[in-house]
Amino acid sequence: MKVRGKHAIYSLILLVTGFMIAFSYQYTKEERKQPTNDQWKREDQLRSSILSIQRENRNLQRELEAAQKKVSEMEEEIADKEKRSFNFVEEIKKLRKVVGQVAVEGQGISVSLEDSSYIPDTENPNDYIVHEEHIRMVIHELYVTGAEAVAINGQRISNTTHIDCVGPVVSVDGVKHPAPFVITAIGDPEVFSNSLNLTGNITDQLVNDGVQVRIQKETSIEIPPFIAKEG
Amino acid sequence: MWLPVLGLLIGLLLGFMSDLRIPPEYTSYLSIAVLAALDTLFGGIRAQLQKTFDDRVFVSGFFFNILLAAGLAFLGVHLGVDLYLAAIFAFGVRLFNNIAVIRRLLLTKGSENQQAERN
Repeated sequence: MKVRGKHAIYSLILLVTGFMIAFSYQYTKEERKQPTNDQWKREDQLRSSILSIQRENRNLQRELEAAQKKVSEMEEEIADKEKRSFNFVEEIKKLRKVVGQVAVEGQGISVSLEDSSYIPDTENPNDYIVHEEHIRMVIHELYVTGAEAVAINGQRISNTTHIDCVGPVVSVDGVKHPAPFVITAIGDPEVFSNSLNLTGNITDQLVNDGVQVRIQKETSIEIPPFIAKEG
Repeated sequence: MWLPVLGLLIGLLLGFMSDLRIPPEYTSYLSIAVLAALDTLFGGIRAQLQKTFDDRVFVSGFFFNILLAAGLAFLGVHLGVDLYLAAIFAFGVRLFNNIAVIRRLLLTKGSENQQAERN
């Protein structure tokens, strides 16, 4: 009985030992087998990750291309805008010149109108002095023949200028000017003088009205900007 | 006498049949347990040959050594010191010692038998 109990215990211990040894052996065998398996899996994993990265790269490249295209489009747009704004600036410059907001310099003509030095006693002296309509005539003629800027006695004329007769003087935008009146205009002096001197045109009419007219071509005239003299 | 051999065979069979999976971090416990078991077994055989065998010492040594080795490995893992190496070293040295002693005992026993036969 005692021997049997011992044997049972030994068999249990040997069972445990055998189990552990066998298990360990099997486990080690499996583990040795696993690396190749693992390697294969790992390779597969790496390959798939490479593929996915490549796909991602392709997508990003496409995105980049789209962005570049967008940038170039925007650049073109900006260039176009610049061109347009350049044109606008040019136009504004031209318009400012016409409106009189900037000083203008260039060749032109100066027309001087003077009261007649000789007034017969029997005649009305009113008929022998320069009136505002004479000035207007000259200015209109100059504008028609392409004047870029016009001034009376150095005062710039603009599109809103009003020229009035105030007794013996002429008021230009509220600034009174006595005779003689020097009207300067910038443009082609040849054209100005030719048109003014046409038979029956301005010069003749002025002379008929008893105004002394002196026309002088200038190589360089500077006309200051228009400044509203009235409040 | 056949019962323990039968137990060994059943244990081996069970070990081969079982497809238990243990996580890789517990392999050191397994190896240390195997070592402890082998050590105790050979220790038992030596004691038997030296006629100092005590089955209580043997059984308690078997399980206690396994548990102690596993506990040492566990402690080593958690302390960051490879303590299971110490256990492996100790068991390995003891295993060799035991086997050497067994060999010598068997040799002396063999020579005694020869002398007895000659006599």
